[in-house]
Amino acid sequence: MSRSSRTRAGQVLVLLRRIAVLVAMVIAFFPVFWLLSTSFKPYQEWASSPPHWLPGKPTLQNYRIVFAPEAARRFAATQQGSLDYKVSGSAWAAFGTSALVATVATFLSVLAGTLAAYSICRFQTGGSTFAFQFLCARMFPPIAVVVPMVVLFSMLRLTDTHLGLILAYTAFTLPFSIWMIRSFIEEIPVDLEGVARVHGMGQFEAFIKVTLPLIRGGLLATALFVFILNWSEFLFALTLTSGHVVTVTLQVANYVSASSGKLYGVQAAMGTISTITVIVFGFLIQSHLVRGLTFGAVRG
Amino acid sequence: MQNDPETPYTPGIDRRSFLKSAAAGTAAFAAGVSLLSLARPAKAAGSLADVQTDAAKAAKELAKGRAVTLRILEPSGSLGNIKPVAERWTADTGINVEYIEVPLGEINQKVLLEAVSKAGSFDIALPASFGIPDLAESGILVDLDQLAAKYEPEGYQDSIIYKTANYYKGNFYGYETDGDAYVMFYRQDWINDPEERKRYADKYGKELKVPDTWEELDQQLAFFHRPESGRYGGALFRSQYFIAWEWWVRFHAKGFFPFTDDLAPQINNEAGVKALEELAAASKYLYPGARSNGLFENFEGYGKGDSYANIGWGGTQKYLNGDKSGVKGKLTYGPTPGGIVKGTLVRTPYFNWGWNYVVSSLSKEPEIAYLFTLYAVSPALSTIAVRDPGGYFDPFRDEHYKDPDIIKLYSKEFLDVHEASMRGSIPDLYLKGQGEYFDVLRVNVQAADIGQKTAKQALDDTARDWDRISRRIGRKGQTVQWRFLKGLYPQEARSNLT
Amino acid sequence: MPQQSLLQLKKPRRPLSRMSRLPLRIALVLPSQVIMLLVVAVPTLIVLWLSLTDWQPTDNIPWFKAEFAWFWNFYDLVFDERFVSAVLRTLFVVAVCVSVELCLAVVLALLFLDEWPWRKIAVSVIILPMMVVPVDAANSFFMLFGDHGPVNELLSLVLHRPIAYAWLADPHWALLPIILAEVWQWTPLMFLLVLTGFLNVPHNQWRAALALGASPARAFFRIVLPLSLPVLLVAVLIRAIETFKIFDVIYILTRGGPGATTESISMFMYNGAFVYFRMGYIAAAALLVLFVVISVCLAIYRPLHRSYE
Repeated sequence: MSRSSRTRAGQVLVLLRRIAVLVAMVIAFFPVFWLLSTSFKPYQEWASSPPHWLPGKPTLQNYRIVFAPEAARRFAATQQGSLDYKVSGSAWAAFGTSALVATVATFLSVLAGTLAAYSICRFQTGGSTFAFQFLCARMFPPIAVVVPMVVLFSMLRLTDTHLGLILAYTAFTLPFSIWMIRSFIEEIPVDLEGVARVHGMGQFEAFIKVTLPLIRGGLLATALFVFILNWSEFLFALTLTSGHVVTVTLQVANYVSASSGKLYGVQAAMGTISTITVIVFGFLIQSHLVRGLTFGAVRG
Repeated sequence: MQNDPETPYTPGIDRRSFLKSAAAGTAAFAAGVSLLSLARPAKAAGSLADVQTDAAKAAKELAKGRAVTLRILEPSGSLGNIKPVAERWTADTGINVEYIEVPLGEINQKVLLEAVSKAGSFDIALPASFGIPDLAESGILVDLDQLAAKYEPEGYQDSIIYKTANYYKGNFYGYETDGDAYVMFYRQDWINDPEERKRYADKYGKELKVPDTWEELDQQLAFFHRPESGRYGGALFRSQYFIAWEWWVRFHAKGFFPFTDDLAPQINNEAGVKALEELAAASKYLYPGARSNGLFENFEGYGKGDSYANIGWGGTQKYLNGDKSGVKGKLTYGPTPGGIVKGTLVRTPYFNWGWNYVVSSLSKEPEIAYLFTLYAVSPALSTIAVRDPGGYFDPFRDEHYKDPDIIKLYSKEFLDVHEASMRGSIPDLYLKGQGEYFDVLRVNVQAADIGQKTAKQALDDTARDWDRISRRIGRKGQTVQWRFLKGLYPQEARSNLT
Repeated sequence: MPQQSLLQLKKPRRPLSRMSRLPLRIALVLPSQVIMLLVVAVPTLIVLWLSLTDWQPTDNIPWFKAEFAWFWNFYDLVFDERFVSAVLRTLFVVAVCVSVELCLAVVLALLFLDEWPWRKIAVSVIILPMMVVPVDAANSFFMLFGDHGPVNELLSLVLHRPIAYAWLADPHWALLPIILAEVWQWTPLMFLLVLTGFLNVPHNQWRAALALGASPARAFFRIVLPLSLPVLLVAVLIRAIETFKIFDVIYILTRGGPGATTESISMFMYNGAFVYFRMGYIAAAALLVLFVVISVCLAIYRPLHRSYE
């Protein structure tokens, strides 16, 4: 490789490759950039013709409407031409709900997943069909299960409750947890536990005291991964709730006004903040993303 | 209107006479609706002028000693009309109001979902009027006849101009609280232009004025359509969600109901096919975004000032009469054009959305919830609600048309036409499964408009699907509601349509 | 006494503490099993029942008393044009998205095989789309493809005439923004997987090939590609299954419209169940879809399991 880059043709080739990478970076970043940019635009610039690439008159009004509706009203009253939108639900409630549901569901999923993964890994519980069952569950289109879930949840009085959503999220991220943690446990040799048992520890105790600390990083990565899935989830939030429990993905759809339709800027502001959350977590577990998204089949 | 077959059709019935006759039509309509009240128990004592204080007092009594919260399920964007009223309610009664907001496109679904989930998560809802049949059938709505008999004072509903959606199969389910009658918009300055008037008179041999019939409108659209000079005939809707509404009006204006008394579709008869063909023909004379634009694009597009005609609602006028519009003060208005039926001009204005306050059958406080709706739709409070531009409600009571703030918001000329259109409005298809019927119609009407099917094919397919839907839902029940609905059509329609 | 001994024989009593001592391995999987039972297994049973009825909540009948309709739902589904087009359309979208993602991923991965100063930053930026909340990404694309959005603006610049095309309202072209949004969001994942696959190929093999005089291209196609095929296969299969479920993007961009021209299977089922409330009918559709998915699962489990070993 280095030999060719020394020649003139090789240098041009390398330059072209770098330019291609730059183009890819621009394309990857552009929609995110647009979201960010729109979140600072006043409403006149949201869908203007020609479009504003950067906000002409940057404003914080969209963020105010999302996070401090009262301040937004006062600002709109003083500043002529500012967007005045009455909000009913607070975005804070949506962020709180998403945080609560995602965190609890993640905790349950990782907890149950670790136990099950250990059992599958060390004891081959259920043979090969067991893990297959969980894989299948992930492959199900969620919509296929939503209709009967609505019926079931109605009977159990779980519709439009935090608990209902938590259960649904836990069940649907369980396959990820199990398979991902399983791949981490597999990397720890059984012998380590064997040594611990020789020293008098019980089977489970050996797992907790020896193996678990060693896969700490993997557990954290799994937890963050599952959290991202829960935070970004939309279909269950849409169908299993009717107004009381609002997650960030649903709250975005509420920013619609009678006089101008979709409030792009406000939606962009909300979207930017909720996406930043995911991006931060995502980058923390960057090295484990491949493992997670392939159910542990590919170690990144 | 001229019901006398001897009198030949005289063109040029201007807006004034339409307004006058519409006023006469109200009495007839009121007579029609009062037939319903014969079946109900006698009205409660209590004057109309004090209804809000009486309602508040009664609610306060009922809630005495308890902490009651009313939960309202409302569509996003409507808070501007609800909050001012709810705040006054809380001040008058001490009962708190909680808002549960769902996305605009989901409101009817969420109310219906409640029938499945039985969660009891709201007391009052604000669904779109055309969803009342489905909601009533699913059992989620409280039949408000008893409560209305107890609390509704004499004459309360009289000044609510359009109330067809309040009833389903003879029962009362909730007050209409919006005025979504279709209204036409025209460029007054283009009509007044002497050169244009001369050209028009030379070409068609008649005066250029607000059209009375669809044929005239189509002529005017063609006349003003000059894309080379950047002018378009009209900004009417040809996008999928809206296109069927225009066909609905055109079809009725040709003199037919969509069903016979036995629920056999008539939409694919000669008149229906002709109406669809004319609609498709007129598409040539519309502005470039017609086939794709939704509501707000329509506001902006027409507001730019390069189209002659537009169709819309009060919300359209709020925009066009506002600061962002380029046509403020240049418009004149007219009802949706009618048609010549057996020699007479028949107008069929159309009320095609609307919102109703309904009470959930799972609510633990149905009486207090009903009292809130009585309070909110009272003349005084509803005027306060409609005044606020941050919501969907357009004028729907006589009192609204006299309020100076509302007149300023919409303009007097618009309100005159709006009021008259409300009085003579034909309803939407208030049947169980309304969404299914209309979605089939929408897809086929659009297919004919873009040339995928012929008009006859499109309407035959629709009629066939409508039969299938009716069969699946239950012809008997649907027929009962259809006959009831037909009786609620305005007098003019009932006398002239077949 | 014989009576007593008979009793003793009949009811051997196990002390409670022994009964609660489930084998450890069973106890460990119990929580997961219970959750899956509640949220996946029981609903599947309900689907089985519902699919044989014509239950509509608008009939005001509880679901267990719904009218039995035998197999008419399945019959109607097979002849339902809207359902069949939804299935075909979904398969089309899956095929297009996965192939485009794979090609782009391979091309990108080739650019990242060597080291250079800002490589890490480049990777971070390129995998950014993967970490955007899908709903927000869809909203962004909704704006990008608006009548006066940047896409139309760019096209106007390139084609030297004003373009204000309403992509999302066109029955023929509305799938394009949807496919582009999917591809934009998930090519980074394919890229990571393909890159992992390429980098995991033992260096000595292709180094030897290069030393023996093979061109880089030849070394790539003959050595690197075949050896990374298992990883590529996993990537393609996983993306195919996930794209099959596509919903968020379509809901935000078009809701399946105009008409039903951008409906995927998930969107069709959502509209049928939550807009028209024909839940019995959609339960039958769900059953068909579940059947297809399980069959595919069975088919792909082997290669997935094998590559995992």
